[in-house]
Parts: sequence; structure tokens; C-alpha cells
Amino acid sequence: MRTFRLILAGLLSTTSLVAITLTSSVRAGASPSAAIAKCQTTIAAEEYTKGKLTVGTDDPVYTPWFVNNKPTNGKGFESALTYAIASVLGINKSNVVWTYEPFDNSYTPGPKKFDFDINEISYTAQRAKAVTFSESYYAVTQSIVTLKNSLVVKKHTPAELKTYLYGDQIGTTGLAYIYDHIHPTQQTRVYSTLDQAILALQTGQINAIVVDTPDGQYMASSEVEKNKKPDGDQIGQFPSTGEHYGLLFTKGNPLVGCINVAITALRDNGTLAALTKKWLDIYTSVPVIKP
Amino acid sequence: MSLGTDESSSTPNLFAPRHRRIFVGRRGLVASTVSSAVLIGVLVAIFFWAPGSATVRYYYFNGHNMWQSFVGHPQTGLLSVGRGFLTNIWMCLLCEVLILFFGLAVAWIRVSRSPVLTPFRVLATAYTDVFRGVPLLLVVFLVGFGLPALGLGFISSQSPDVYGCVALTITYTAYVAEVFRAGIYSVPNGQILAARSLGLTHGTIMRRVTLPQAVRPVMPPLLNDFITLQKDTALVSVLGAIEAARAAQIYESTVFNGSGLVVASLLFLAITVPLTRFTDRLLDRDRKRRLASLS
Amino acid sequence: MNDNVVLDLDRVVKRFGDNEVLSGVSLQLHRHEVVCLIGASGSGKSTLLRCANLLERIDGGSISLFGQSLLDERIDPDLVRRHIGMVFQSFNLFPHLSVLENILLGPVRALKRDRAEAREEALALLERIGLRDRADEYPDRLSGGQQQRVAIVRSLAMRPALLLLDEVTSALDPTLVGEVLDLLRDLAANGTTMLIATHEMNFARDVARQVAYLDHGVLVEQGTPEQIFSHPEHESTRTFLERVR
Repeated sequence: MRTFRLILAGLLSTTSLVAITLTSSVRAGASPSAAIAKCQTTIAAEEYTKGKLTVGTDDPVYTPWFVNNKPTNGKGFESALTYAIASVLGINKSNVVWTYEPFDNSYTPGPKKFDFDINEISYTAQRAKAVTFSESYYAVTQSIVTLKNSLVVKKHTPAELKTYLYGDQIGTTGLAYIYDHIHPTQQTRVYSTLDQAILALQTGQINAIVVDTPDGQYMASSEVEKNKKPDGDQIGQFPSTGEHYGLLFTKGNPLVGCINVAITALRDNGTLAALTKKWLDIYTSVPVIKP
Repeated sequence: MSLGTDESSSTPNLFAPRHRRIFVGRRGLVASTVSSAVLIGVLVAIFFWAPGSATVRYYYFNGHNMWQSFVGHPQTGLLSVGRGFLTNIWMCLLCEVLILFFGLAVAWIRVSRSPVLTPFRVLATAYTDVFRGVPLLLVVFLVGFGLPALGLGFISSQSPDVYGCVALTITYTAYVAEVFRAGIYSVPNGQILAARSLGLTHGTIMRRVTLPQAVRPVMPPLLNDFITLQKDTALVSVLGAIEAARAAQIYESTVFNGSGLVVASLLFLAITVPLTRFTDRLLDRDRKRRLASLS
Repeated sequence: MNDNVVLDLDRVVKRFGDNEVLSGVSLQLHRHEVVCLIGASGSGKSTLLRCANLLERIDGGSISLFGQSLLDERIDPDLVRRHIGMVFQSFNLFPHLSVLENILLGPVRALKRDRAEAREEALALLERIGLRDRADEYPDRLSGGQQQRVAIVRSLAMRPALLLLDEVTSALDPTLVGEVLDLLRDLAANGTTMLIATHEMNFARDVARQVAYLDHGVLVEQGTPEQIFSHPEHESTRTFLERVR
């Protein structure tokens, strides 16, 4: 009886999968799948290492973007997205190669050692002068993280936010947000890495950090510690400024064309939404506060 | 062979071999001009005709960006490299005063022979051993993140500049103490004998005879340490403080132009080069004096 | 105890490691007396002088100043040395101080005398050796003879009970030796108590009340200049005198 049910379940899923695929191709018209088919043949010529998809990211990398600092396990939003893109383009999982690229280096001008970099890199006009971005794969907001018993938890009107001492990692959109929207009266502390900013927060040297909302959630619940117990509080997220993440390419790299085709396909067939829901859903329940 | 001068009658050959004659006299002038021209030519060629030359010149030596980074733009958070450099300067001056004071104190303890000071002598030796061995960067981290973590009230609530200064002082004092100690040992023993023969106490001898004579010869190494200290003040940036180098980095990561780094470098050079020249002059003068007194 | 005895060295022994540099040397220095120590280099003359003012600790025997044993644990060596002046072969003037300040350092810092008063005295001393106009100059501008005379005056400014002089002319240019010896003759004529280690035999003959000959740490012979120079009793004394003639 059990075997029969299994076979039935399998048949049903396959049928629905086929139906969905067919309908989505029919809905979107013939061109996307044609574009995909074309990409599957042309892509090899454009790769950094022919026959492999070389993807850059930082080390260490964190939840919810990756899990256990192992991009190869396909877990975490960005890891899963990468393998989904590869799959659309007909690239075998074993042909996806990960390489190390520190965040600070990724958006500086010059040729890159990867096909694209995926590392929660926000598109900015400045960065776009130096590198090429794919279309958005995630719309992001900034949030504010402090310690559980901090003043900021209760007092965060725009006027009050200006009075706090902030710290952040150099070159991030979080730091830019502080400068552009919060305008604190005290000089913001700028650290080389986010880890150091977290350390400063824990030791009471700064009041708050501004960081992407998903990162902030993970930070507050797991990374900011006191006596080995989570001590962080993500107070709120700021209204969207239109910021979004994109995959990062060497300036003028033609490969972006096919990758964009893949992203579009994933958006159209609901995979992108599904991945977002699976890995990032809990982070959408953070209250919105004004800068 | 008998003792005495050479008795052979022939005159020895006194002319330099032909190929060496270009280094002599007027021809020597030609040689130095040609060699300088060649060296400068090669450097200029590399700078202007290398494939990436235009990019490098724009990225690092662009006039507009150099000025922008120097003055900063507070609204966009672009901090002024010039303003940041003031942090480097005041830290250097303050820390140097502390370093000289503590360095002398530690040296004094190390050369003392009083039994009362024995535990301090041991501590002082351990201290100089440890802090001449641990890299300054590590000390900066340990002090700048460690002290606040201890939660000790006043000690734990200082600004990163203060911790930076503490770390610099702790590390440099160890070096300077050794420099002073070498200076003290270099004072001729006869001086101490004469001073003791006058019945002066140990402390008086140290203050009025030894130290005045110990400091003069060690001015060049002390000046060298001062110059190095000026550059090491940039390390306070790892603690989050904004000084010239960090301000330049922020400019670069926002605007993608590195000319701010060149500006910061020039600011440092503006201080260190005159000091280096001065140190050289001191060394020269002392050398001439020493050689004159021998003749 | 004869209160005329200023310094009493009794069977003094001094060792450096395994090397016995002084082997039971006994010597007495009376008030207003000049005693000259002669002997080859390494005979222990300098060591004896340095033991006398406690710059070196002795390993045997005793030293007394005005009858007070200097080996008593309660003795403060710094205090002792204020009563015993010493002048060295290499002058050892303080190069970072002027001539006048060299002379003032002891009286002002050790004896805690009033600075103005000490200054007057120092200038008077410099006047006596004809160097008053060089008072504000630094030692490196003076000749060797001038520096040594300043060194002698520096010790005298402390008003010591006696002066120890360690081959004070040996490092001087021959033409400058005379002015220093003349000063010492003056001091002797004025009754200054002195123990002088020297190679200048003629000077010793003129000035000394007693001459003591040391050989390898042993006081071989002691007597008046007449006795030592004209009728030396010991073989080694004779040999030594022959060589220095």
C-alpha cells in the first residue's frame, strides 16, 4: 500500500511540475526559453574558466545567505540562488566553483577573478561605474542593531537617533545610510570589518550598528553576545531607499546578459519568491522606524 | 728580509688604469651626470609609458580628487584627510612625551642596583622583553578591544584615540627604555668615579652627571623612534577612530579614487622628512666633533 | 691613637677574582704630610688609592680615617668621600658643565652650601690657578694641564681632609706637566695632606716627606726620599729606580 502511495505521489509531482513548466513557458511566450537555450550554448565562451561557473564570495559568510560557511552545500539564500541560476543555464552542480573575494575588493575597479560575485553587494551608482551589476535579486532595507538593554531600544525618534554613537564597516551601504539619512552629531566609528564593529558594540564602545535587515536579524539573535548568550536587539528597519542586491561582474562582462536571463526566468517561475520565502521570510517581520 | 724602507731604485707606476680614469676629475663629473640622467629617465619612462599608466595617474594622482579628499565633504560623510591628520599629530606629540618619560623611568629602574628595587627590576626586564616582541598591531587590538571588554568603569569607557595612545606608549616605551639604557652605559666610567669621589649620592650622580651625558648620544635613535611613531599613529584606525589614512580609505571606498591615499602620504612626509634631515645633520655634526677631538 | 694620623691603611688586601692585587699593604698618612707612592704600572698604586676612598671594597685588613674605621657597616661611603678628595689621571671633568659648574657641583649638591657663597669661593680658587677668566667655558676648550688643575681645584672646593692623586700628570703632554706639578708643590708648601701616586721621581724627591715603593701589590720599601732614592735597601727597588732614571 505504501509503495503505491509513493508512486502516486511521484507521478502527481512530476505531472504538476511539467504542467507548471509548460504553462510558464506558454505564458511568457517562446522567447525566454529560446533565450535560455541560446545561453546554454554561448555561455561556455564567456566563462572565466571555460566549462566552469566561477563564483566569488567572502570568507566567512553568514546565515541566512550561506549556512555553516560552506557555499557548496546549496543552503542559504545566496548559495541556493547560485545553484538555481546554474541549473537554469544547464550547468551541472559539480561545475560550480567557489572562490574567495573579500567584500572590500569586490566593487573596486579592475578585472575580476570570477564570473560573478554574490555577497549581498548593493547596487550603487558609484560602484556601477567601476563594475557591472546584474538585475536585482533581492530588495533590501537597512536596520538598526543595538544591545538588549540599550537606551536606543526605547528611544529612537529621529531626533534621538541623531544623538547616538554609531559604528560600521568601511565601504558598506550601512555606513552610507548613517551619513546620508541619520546625520548623527558624534563622529561615526569606522572599522575594517563588521566583526570589529560587533565587538565594539558588545564592549559598549558604540551604541548601534546599521546593517542590512537580514544580516541585522542574524546578528542580533546570534552574534551579539554577553556571557555567551545572545544580547542583541534589532530594533527596527528603515524605510526602503530602493536599495537592492545584484550579482557583481567585471565591468563590461557580456556574461551578465545570460545571468539576467536566468534571474528573470527564476522570478517568472516563482523560484526566486520561493527561495526568498524559505530563507528570508522571518526577517520581514521587523518593525519599520524612521531615520 | 731586512727591516727598513724599500731600497730598489726604480720609480713605481703611479697612474690609474685607463678604464678607471672616467671616475676621476672632470670625467667623474660626466660619469655622475650620465648615471643620474639614465636613472631618472628609466623611472619617468616606467611611470608614463607603462600600459596602466593613465589609469594609475588618474586613480592615485588626480588633482581634483586630491583636493576633495583633503578638505572632505561632511554632508556625504566624506571626512577630511587634512582634519584626520590633526589626530595623527596630536597623538604623536602626546604619546611621545609619555614615552620619553616612562622610557627614562624604566631605564632608570633597570640600571639601578638598589636591593629595594629588585622586584621592579625584574618586572622592568620582563616588560621590555615582552613588548619589544609583540607586534604593535596586536597590542592595539588587545588594548583597544580588551580594556573596554573588562567593564572597569573609567578604564573601559575611553575613546579609541586614548586606547591607541596607550598601546603606542606601552610598546614604544619598551624600545626607548633600551635606548636610554644603552646611553647610560655609554657614559665613561671615569665620570662616575669622579662624581662618587666628590661624595655625591647615587641619585644626584644619575641626575646631574649620568643622564645629561647619556641623552646626547642617543638623540639620533630617539629621533628615529619619534619618526616611526608618527607613522604608527595610523594604526588607531583599526579601533574605529578616523585619522588621515582611514579618512583616505573612506574616500576611496566611496568615490573609487585613491588620490586621498597619496594626500595622506604627503602629509606624513611633510612631517617625517624634515625630521629625518635634522637627525642626519645631528649625526654628522656629532661625527665631525668626535673626529676633530681625536686629531 | 695618634690624632695626627689622618689616614691609616693597615694590612690592606684586595683581590680581583683570583688575582691578588694588594697583599697586606700598610701605610699611614699624617696631617700636613705628603706621601708619594712609586712603582711600575700594575703594582697596585691606583687600586690602593681607590680602596682608600672606598671606591673599591677591600678583602682584608682595615682602613681608618681620623681613627674611625671605614669598614663599619654604619658608615655612609658618600659622606666619607666628601672628606677625601681624589684626582684622576684622565681628569674626568664633567664635559656638559662649565669649569665653574664643575667646581660648584660638589659643594652645592653634596655639602648643601649656599650657592652664592660657594661661587665666590670657586672663583677665588680659579683665580689662584690663573684660570678665573675661563670660568664659564667648557672643559673641552682647555688644555690638558689646565683641565687637570681645574680637577685638582674641584676636589679642593670640597675642603677635604686629604687629597688622593692618581698619576695626575701621566696623561699630559710633557710641556704641560710642569704647571700641574707646580700647583702640587704649592699645595704641599701650604700644608695640604696628600697621598700621591706618581712616576715623576724628581717631583717626589722634592715634595714628599715619605716615599713608598710598591711592587706587585707588596709595599716593598718605605722611607724618606733621601733613603729611597739614594740608598734603596731592596733589590727590586734598586732595579725599578734604575729603569726609570
